[in-house]
Amino acid sequence: MKRTKYALLGIAVALTVVVVVSCGKQSPTATKELEVACFKGGYGIDFFEQAAREYEKAHPGVKIKVWGNPRVWEQLRPRFIAGNPPDLTYPGWGMDHWALVYEGQVIPLDEYLDSPPYGKTEGRWRDTFEPSLLELCQYQGKTYMLPYFFSMLGWWYNKDMFEKNGWKPPRTWSELLALCEKIKAKGIAPITYQGIYPAYAVSGFLIPWVISAGGIEAFDNAQNLVPGAWKSPAFLKAAQMMDELRRRGYFQEGANGMDHTGAQMEFLSGRAAMIPCGTWLHSEMRNVMPKDFRMGFFLPPVLDEGKGDPTAVGIGIEPWMVPTKGKNRELAIDFYKYMTSLEKAKQFVEQKGTLMSIRGSDQANFPEHLKEPVEVFRRAKTVWSVEYRQWYPRLGKEVEDATAALLAGNITPEQFVERLERAAEATRQDKNIPKHTDTRGQAR
Amino acid sequence: MTSQARSAFMAGFLLPATVLYALFVVMPVVQAFAFSLYRWRGISANRTFVGLENFRQLFADPIVWLAIRHNLLLFVGTSVVILAMAIALAHAIGHETGTARFLRAVYLFPQVISLVVVAILWMFILNPSFGILNATLKAAGLERWAIAWLGERSTALASIGVAHVWHALGFYIMLFAAALRTIPPDVMEAATLDGAMGLTRLRYVTLPMLWAVLRIALVYMAIGTMNIFSLVFLMTQGGPDRATEVMLTYLYEQAFKHSEFGYATALAVVNFVLVMALSGAILALFRHNPQEGRA
Amino acid sequence: MSTLYRWLINICLALFALSVVVPLLWVLMTSFKTGAEIFTAPWGLPHTLQWQNFVRAWQEAGIARYFMNSLIVTLAALAILLPVGAMAAYIFARYPFRGANWLFGAFLGGMMFPLFLTIVPLFLLLARLGLLDTLHGLTLVYVAYSLPFTVFVLTGFFQTLPQEMLEAALIDGCGHARAFWKVMLPLAKPGIIVVGVFNAIGLWNEYPLALVIMSSDERRTLPLGIANLLMVEQYQSDWGALFAGLVIVMLPVLLVYWLFRDRIHETMVAGALKG
Repeated sequence: MKRTKYALLGIAVALTVVVVVSCGKQSPTATKELEVACFKGGYGIDFFEQAAREYEKAHPGVKIKVWGNPRVWEQLRPRFIAGNPPDLTYPGWGMDHWALVYEGQVIPLDEYLDSPPYGKTEGRWRDTFEPSLLELCQYQGKTYMLPYFFSMLGWWYNKDMFEKNGWKPPRTWSELLALCEKIKAKGIAPITYQGIYPAYAVSGFLIPWVISAGGIEAFDNAQNLVPGAWKSPAFLKAAQMMDELRRRGYFQEGANGMDHTGAQMEFLSGRAAMIPCGTWLHSEMRNVMPKDFRMGFFLPPVLDEGKGDPTAVGIGIEPWMVPTKGKNRELAIDFYKYMTSLEKAKQFVEQKGTLMSIRGSDQANFPEHLKEPVEVFRRAKTVWSVEYRQWYPRLGKEVEDATAALLAGNITPEQFVERLERAAEATRQDKNIPKHTDTRGQAR
Repeated sequence: MTSQARSAFMAGFLLPATVLYALFVVMPVVQAFAFSLYRWRGISANRTFVGLENFRQLFADPIVWLAIRHNLLLFVGTSVVILAMAIALAHAIGHETGTARFLRAVYLFPQVISLVVVAILWMFILNPSFGILNATLKAAGLERWAIAWLGERSTALASIGVAHVWHALGFYIMLFAAALRTIPPDVMEAATLDGAMGLTRLRYVTLPMLWAVLRIALVYMAIGTMNIFSLVFLMTQGGPDRATEVMLTYLYEQAFKHSEFGYATALAVVNFVLVMALSGAILALFRHNPQEGRA
Repeated sequence: MSTLYRWLINICLALFALSVVVPLLWVLMTSFKTGAEIFTAPWGLPHTLQWQNFVRAWQEAGIARYFMNSLIVTLAALAILLPVGAMAAYIFARYPFRGANWLFGAFLGGMMFPLFLTIVPLFLLLARLGLLDTLHGLTLVYVAYSLPFTVFVLTGFFQTLPQEMLEAALIDGCGHARAFWKVMLPLAKPGIIVVGVFNAIGLWNEYPLALVIMSSDERRTLPLGIANLLMVEQYQSDWGALFAGLVIVMLPVLLVYWLFRDRIHETMVAGALKG
């Protein structure tokens, strides 16, 4: 009997100690503390940590804790529910950003955007951002998110292979078909793609060709869920183009079963000549890239008599936000202002080799592989972004599934656009899904 | 010792486990069940009570039925293969020789290592361009067979099944090997003297003796395949075009990508009920050993 | 006929053994290769042994610290789990009472519910108790989540012990509790060891609970560190370090398993057979 009592007592004591000890830890601190939770992707979080140390030095009494990991959104979700989110966060691609907005979990930032930038007494912080990127962060006229770096979507080609064979990156559809034939004759796969993640094919093939065939309005209408927009002639044309490449055998065999690193490795090893991918390709593959490998960036070839702007370029951002229940809103904003000052922005460009949302940061020294993308961006008269994927995740998933089926030859282009329209119709009819409209994608 | 003291003793022994289990497991599970009656994005404390609406939607959702179909296909497919191989191989390593013991130990390796490793391994084996499977096929002159195993609608699910069998087979070999050892040697001898060999012996002697184990093995396999997640999630994400979508990957998509936490918990409840029903059905179906009735 | 059949079976045996061993050796071999080698010649031998892979895994992922955390949590959880689980299992096995089936069923039901849906309620609960992001909080959760399996297997084990031993002890004047600690528990030692080893392996590999409960870098467990490495490698393609990390996380488990393999087999099967 005694043993049992002791065992029980022991457990009770242990439990009590545990509870008491942990409660005791929550004592208030004298200094102002800021918690910043970041997604840790290809660019790491060291830059933000460094910025925090600098900011602390300039602002005595402030302590900034920057932490993050590659699946930070999984840890943030319960903290948002529990009502103790960090003060500032960059939750990464796995977070449903707009759900945070609908639930009032992040604050509108316009008031702050209209205040002066870091360390200034006049001017508006808003004006230091690339306007087309800030627009991606708006819902019902208010700005809820802040861009930091951004990526461009396009195609990459193997420079040495092209130069050796006297090939040029194709600008038009007919040039593309002619070139693919030549590449194929050499026993090289003309195009490979990241088949397991069809999002690459959507933004690398489908959307650019929709815009080329029907103009930016065709894509805007689709994103705005205008009835019939997803089965418009522009979408059908784009689907037919993808289907034609497949039928002619211009896609690498087996690409439908490759993950992103697998397909990108095929490209780097010279078994495929071209690949659709964002500007992150270089940093993602730098550890396995052959030392002397040279690659070039170009926009997806457009239709010879296309309606769309041939300089149109796709971009993507990974936004930051300020949680409503954060404890130090003003400080969080001021720290982010510091991180987006022109000086820090240029540093980020140089250290991390990516484009920044801050105007004037393109005056920094870009690494070699970014010089072409920067040129493309400077020339671009139209900017687009796959927003429906964030707005309506279910529609985004169906578009990707249908794209995978089309590229595998399981469905015809006609069936493809019917599927897209059905998915758009379902989203349109669902009253529980908040709707977005966008008039972006126009001239910059 | 009085009966009161006996009760106190029993309560004292049961209490620590029950309290811990009730607090950290039962309560969260019950709460999760409750969530299935709400529309909830799972990102704030706001939620709306919608009664059985999530379940109504769920039964009208074609993808749910597709996912259940895939789970059941995986169950039927992998359990047939596992049973056949496990029973055949168990025969051979039931003895207490050094080799048999060594093999038994090796066969359990895939069970001991993390599923993440299993998934990565099979992704490298099945890779369309540098995987060993296609390399072997090409070397054997079977170019036509070298396909993107995880990228084709027709082979993706089967490929997942193969990885699952690789992971699970060792356990069932062990199970049947142990069960075979419980069969008294004289029964086997008698059967052999009667001239029962190979398949005949399997049907009339071995299987009936293994009946109880077979039942349990089937229930384990049902639980395992109805709750399959990591392999699919890592190897195909449920693709291509949902060809490998299973209940738990769809649940994950709903909860974390579509912010439909209420709907996702409803899926969990349905899956839970399905597992229970399937296990119950197997136990009922295999209650009576057909051979015993005859004898 | 009979020899042919035997040959066929032997070939199958060898094939399956190879299919297990070869991939594991492949992971080991790959952990010594450069990233480019892994992709261009996945089945070729490494040109030179890339010990740096292990150095990078050890340093960048801070694996030494995580290793300690995992060790502490796993051992602490076992120290609570085994007595607590054995006590409950003993009652289920030896002291029938009204509602016993119901309670036992409740313990087993927990094994069938998808774990990651309980994570949000569990997180909120731990936040209220102040147990979030603490090693002892994680330990208690681990104990609770390991109970179903532990109770299940140990109940089967206690049922097999001869009743006479217990009766003899009781007649000798031992109380029920004393009889348990002095006589029955030692008799059940083989079962306890197996359950302990199985739980140790399971907890050592556990990922989703730790992910949500722990947020501080210095308190992370090994699987979190490895998963971190895996995810980071997906953005940086440092596959050599990833495979080195896999080896580091796999080796201790395989080692423990190998040491206890015979005992595990016997009891694993014994427990399953009684189901």
